[in-house]
This record gives sequence, structure tokens and C-alpha cells, in this order.
Amino acid sequence: MYAIQLANRYLTSRIIPLIAVGAVALCVALVVIVVSVMSGFLDMLKSSGRTLMGDVVINYPVRGMPWYDDLVREIETMPEAAAASPLVDTYGLLRMPYPQGADKEVVTANVWGIEPASFERVTDYSTTLYWKPPASEADAAAMAVDDPRLQLNSQHEKNGLSLTQAGTNEPGMVMGMHVSIVNERQRDGTYRSRYGWFMPDQQVTLTLVPISGKGTVAEPRERLFPVVNEFRSGVYQIDKNRVLIPLAEAQRLLRLDQGTLYDMEAPPNADGSQPVLGVSPPRVHRILARAKPGITADALRAAVEIAYERFFEKEMADGTRVVKPPRRDLISILTWEQHLRDLIGPVEKEREMMRILFSIVYLVCAGLVLSIFWAIVQEKSRDIGILRSIGASRTAVLWIFLQYGLVIGAVGGAIGVGLGWLVICNINSIHDAIGADAPPWTWMAAFGMGSLSLVMALRGSFRGILLPTLLWLVTAMTLGLVGCGLLAHRGTLIWDPAVYYFSSIPSQIDWLTAGITWIGAVVFSVLGASVPAAKAADIDPVRALRYE
Amino acid sequence: MNEPLLIQARALHKTYRLGKVDVPVLRGADFSMRPGEWVAILGSSGSGKSTLLHLLGLLEEADSTSGEMWFEGKPVSGLHGAARNHYRNQCVGFVFQFYHLLPELNVLENALLPCKISAGLGWPAARSAARARTMDLLHRFGLSDRLLHRPRELSGGERQRVAIARALANQPRLLLADEPTGNLDARTGGEILDRIASLHRDGLSIAMVTHDPAVAARADRIVHLIDGVVQG
Repeated sequence: MYAIQLANRYLTSRIIPLIAVGAVALCVALVVIVVSVMSGFLDMLKSSGRTLMGDVVINYPVRGMPWYDDLVREIETMPEAAAASPLVDTYGLLRMPYPQGADKEVVTANVWGIEPASFERVTDYSTTLYWKPPASEADAAAMAVDDPRLQLNSQHEKNGLSLTQAGTNEPGMVMGMHVSIVNERQRDGTYRSRYGWFMPDQQVTLTLVPISGKGTVAEPRERLFPVVNEFRSGVYQIDKNRVLIPLAEAQRLLRLDQGTLYDMEAPPNADGSQPVLGVSPPRVHRILARAKPGITADALRAAVEIAYERFFEKEMADGTRVVKPPRRDLISILTWEQHLRDLIGPVEKEREMMRILFSIVYLVCAGLVLSIFWAIVQEKSRDIGILRSIGASRTAVLWIFLQYGLVIGAVGGAIGVGLGWLVICNINSIHDAIGADAPPWTWMAAFGMGSLSLVMALRGSFRGILLPTLLWLVTAMTLGLVGCGLLAHRGTLIWDPAVYYFSSIPSQIDWLTAGITWIGAVVFSVLGASVPAAKAADIDPVRALRYE
Repeated sequence: MNEPLLIQARALHKTYRLGKVDVPVLRGADFSMRPGEWVAILGSSGSGKSTLLHLLGLLEEADSTSGEMWFEGKPVSGLHGAARNHYRNQCVGFVFQFYHLLPELNVLENALLPCKISAGLGWPAARSAARARTMDLLHRFGLSDRLLHRPRELSGGERQRVAIARALANQPRLLLADEPTGNLDARTGGEILDRIASLHRDGLSIAMVTHDPAVAARADRIVHLIDGVVQG
């Protein structure tokens, strides 16, 4: 019991342990912040990937997969599958409605032709639609008064979900939030329209280039689409490039729709036409599948493999069908993680590398505690002699200093986790503050406190005291430099969404990492304390007490 | 002469190594005292009297090939580890010239330390009895109004009284005092000696080291330590 009492008194009666606690806290906060951001980034990448393409993707690019409706049905009969949706994936040119005049802007876009209903079942696409009225009064109250969504009714949302324009029933387009330049992101993550353009009221012209089965380019086809809504997936590269149109329109523009198959090698009919071989069915490039709750993507992939085998066998056995599906080895069936492997793999490796590199701070913790405790043991060797003279064992002395290290590690680690949590929760606000000019009160306050420190330094010099004079002078200089820095600060963009995929910095703390880091801080603080503690236990009490 | 001895040491040797030179301090010192006796060990500076006291209190070990020691008839020179700690905690109490109180603890906490060490995890159960005993001691030493003061807030005499209270907290049979008045002025030193004399009258055995013949004169018996050997 006395060991706890003494460790407590040693901790609370001097400033050195507080410095150790502060140092451990900063080290832990550093690891927690860096690894949390990396983990958040990875989680966002993964969850966005899954939201954007379901759990499993069947790919057969360029030529497209025929009889896909049958394959979708086959997949949906599997007990592991919740839904499947066909998809056309291509690139095209978008002629934007701006600027005024004939010389409109043209951008490239990744065009997805989708069936809205099945696509929604696979990807929760509706959650990404941006232009919709607030869901509740509470949501409305939380919005800024100039948020355009407050003026919207549910028609934009309905149009976005059906990919048609109400009234005219024209097929519509839903664009990624950053495809056009008119949507300006605000600091709170909401958007305002620039230059008087509100995209859901506009029309754009889409041009697609069909590619034949032989790999040759056919005549480009274009169509005017009303923009019915915009989506925000959170992945900047997608929001910047992707547009969604109805599947049938995409198939028509790419000549993947249903057609008649002629026998070009047979002699022509009497009317000069070629004999008909049969029907060329519509085709798609991809089928997305979603697993039922509790089913893993890998389990669904295995089920989809079986479904494809069944589908292939049925189609091959059906003599009425001239066009056959591609062989299994020509298509790829991948889980969403495998599909995004090129993106996720390096990020995972980066995170592990960061974790290892920043774990070196554990050694910093241990070194700090060791050096501080070494000094404390030197200072307290007489106390140790006293304790030994009244019957304290070596183990008890050892325990006093180990407890000391334990408390420093535990308290410093806990403060570090708290600090990390605070920073992570506010990381986007901090980033926005760094990205903007410093408010005048910040540099004025820095200059004010700097002047006060200078006065204190002068006061110290008049009184002839060197240490306070020096400390106040250093403080004045530091505050002066901080003030100059703030005054000159013109905003720095650190998190560039074009580079980091996401439009905001992940702000979820990785509690597993935080817990492991805290344990690491405690273990290494105790390890750091163990050397001076062993030295303390070995102190010869007579030698410690002999000199005063 | 048939009365059992409280402590007996025979042929104690102690050599310190200073650099490459061996410096013998005790050269076969014999020492004994009876229960209830107050013995002063008188010697000049560097004669080895503190070393003898430390050996009697098992604070340090005699040279490995030398002598033997008994406490209440039982051999103690071969004790190690926990038994040695127990001896220092229960059988003897140390008082030093420079008081050696822990600056982070107040008077009461300093005085209670030996009780806490002996109680270990059983301290909550032992607490009230130990506290009552220690409070009684501190009251007897005139420190009732200083219980919550830190050592730096006390005079030299008060600090030494706290040190004596701490030495007696576990009711040891032998008080080992190393120049207990050496750091005090004559009047305060006299007061401390009066306190020690009072304890002796109550039956406490005391071995006191001093270089001052006047202080030694207060004891029942004086032994001289000359050239590492006890004489007289």
C-alpha cells in the first residue's frame, strides 16, 4: 500500500512526471491520428467500393454478354444472392450546357447504363442522390438557410430513381456531383450552384462510340438527355467522372440492343437481303450481384460461379439460340475487393507501413520514461535507502518505480487517445481552418501575448534574473513568429480530393488501433521504467544514506 | 551474567574497497548488550562506529568470512532477503544523524511507514491499531499538532522526534541510534537525549553511536571503538 502512496506522491509533487505524461500523450495521439486517418481512408474506400458495385461483379467488357436477363434470374435463384443488376460500362463525351453561347464545354465521362430498380437493390443507389428535400423537419432545421435542397420537392428524387423526366417521360441522366463545374462544395460538405446554373434544370448531349464485335469503331451516336439529378458517392474520382443513364438508352447508343442476325456468308435472298440467322439479343458489360445479409462476398462469388455454369450449360443446350454466351474463361467473376485490388492493396500496405513506422514512437516513450526515471532514481536514492533501512524489500522498491511507469503510460496513453479522438473528430474543421486565411483575432492575439512576454522579459532583465528573462524572451520570439506566420497565412490545401479520392478526410477513430497503441504505451513505459527501477532496487542503502 | 543477551556479535570484520585499495574498518569487533541496556559506542570520526551499527541492524553485511551475530539467542548473521527485511522492520529501529524522513510524506505518514511495510496488503485490517499506536507515540513526542506537516516545515529537533517515532512504530526491541544529536544544537540535542532516556526507562534497549563523550555519558555503559576493535 505504501508503494502506491509513494508512487502517487512522486507523481503529483513534481513537474518531470507531467512532462513524461505529456510526451507519452503526444506520441500516442500521433499514432492514433495517423493510423485512424489511414484506416478511415481504407474503410471509406472499401465501403464506397461495395456501395458502388455490390458484392460480386461479372465482367465481359467491349462485346457484352448476351442473354443477361437469364443470367440475372439464375443468380437471383441462388440462396446467397439478394439481387443482381445488369450494367453497360463505357466512356463518352458530354456536351455541357455552359457557358452561354455556342462554344459549350465538352468533358469525357464514364457512362453507366443501368436498370434503376435492380441497380437500387444492389447498390443502395438512392442514398447517393443529392438533390432531394430534407427527410424530416430535424434534417431541415440542420441545413443552412441558403441550402437549395430546402426549396426542392420530391420530384427530383423520383426522377433520379427512375432516370426519367417527369411529365415528358424522357430518359434522363444522373451525373456525378463533380462532373460539372457548377457545383461548389461548401465547408460543411453541402453544395451551392455557381454562375446561376442548376444542373437538374439543364440538358446535356451525350455522345457514345459503338464498338463492333470485331473491335472496330462504328459511327458515333448522340442523344440529348435532361439532367434529372446528381449523385455523390464520396469517392471523388467517381463523382468527377461518372454519369448514369437508362440501360436501354446505353444499349441503343452503343448498338448493344436487340437486333437481327444475318448470315453474311450465304447467298442473298431473291429480294437482295441476306438470310436471317436469328435474333441478336441485347448485351451488357457487367452484372453486379449483392449478397444476402450474413453472406460474405467470397461465398456469393462461389455461388455466382455455379450460377454461371448452369446458365452456360442451359444456353448451350438451347438450340433456338444462335448467339451463345461467352465461355467461363473469357469472363471474370470477382468480389468487389478483388475488383478494387489495385486500389485497396497499396492503401492497405501503406497503412501497415505507417503503423510500423509510427510504432517507433513506442521506443521514444520507453526512452523518455527511462531517462526521466533515471534522473528521479538518482534524486531519490536517499529515500530508497531510508525505505530499505526500515524493512522495505528490493521488490517493493522495484514496484514503486514500475507503478510509476505504469501510471505515466496509462495516463499519458489515455490523454493521447483522447487528444487523438478530438483531432480526428474535428479533422475536417481543422483542415478547413488551415485551408483558409487566419482570422485577424488569431494573429492579433499572438502579437498581443508576444508583446506581453517581451514586457515580462524586460522586467526580468531590469531585476537581473537571467532564467525568467531568457524564457520570456524565447516566448516573445515564438509568439511573434507565430503571429507573423498567421498574418502571412493564405490557406493551404493539404487534402486534395483529386489526389485522395474522397472529398473529405475520414473522421472516424480506429478504436482497435487506439486500444493497441494505449497498451503499447503502457508496456513500453513500464519497460522504460524497469531499468531505473532495477537500479533503484539494487541501491546499497548504506551508501545512499551515508552522504548528506 | 546468566541473563540472556539481546544482541551479540563476535569477530566482525568489514572492509571497504576504495578504488584499488582495501580499507579495513572493523577488524574483529565483538559487541554484546543485555535487554533494557543503553550502550554508547564511542569513537573518533572514521573509527567504524556507524559501520558497526549498520552491521548490528543488518543494513549491510560483514565480510563473508568473518564473525557471527545473534539476536535474542538466534543467529541472524546468515539471514537473507525477506528474513533480513523482517529483522530491520520488526526487531530493530534506526535513528540517523540527518533524520532521513521522506519529504513527500507528512509527519504521520512518515511515522506509519514501517507499519505499512510490515502489513503489506493487510494494511486496511492493521490500519486502525497501527495508527492509534503511532498517534500515541507522536503525542508522547509532542508532535500532535504537527501530524500533517511535511518534514521541511519542522525544526531539526522535531524532525528527529519524528524519526524516533518512526523507528519505534513497530515496537522493536532495540533502537539503533547513529549520532542522534549530531546535527542539533546543544539544547535541542539535550532534549532528544532526554526523550531517549525516557524510552530507556520504559525498558527499551538502545545502542547509540557518538563521538561526543558528554552524550555517551548518558548511557548505562560506554564501549570504545578503536582501530576497528571494541574495547571496554
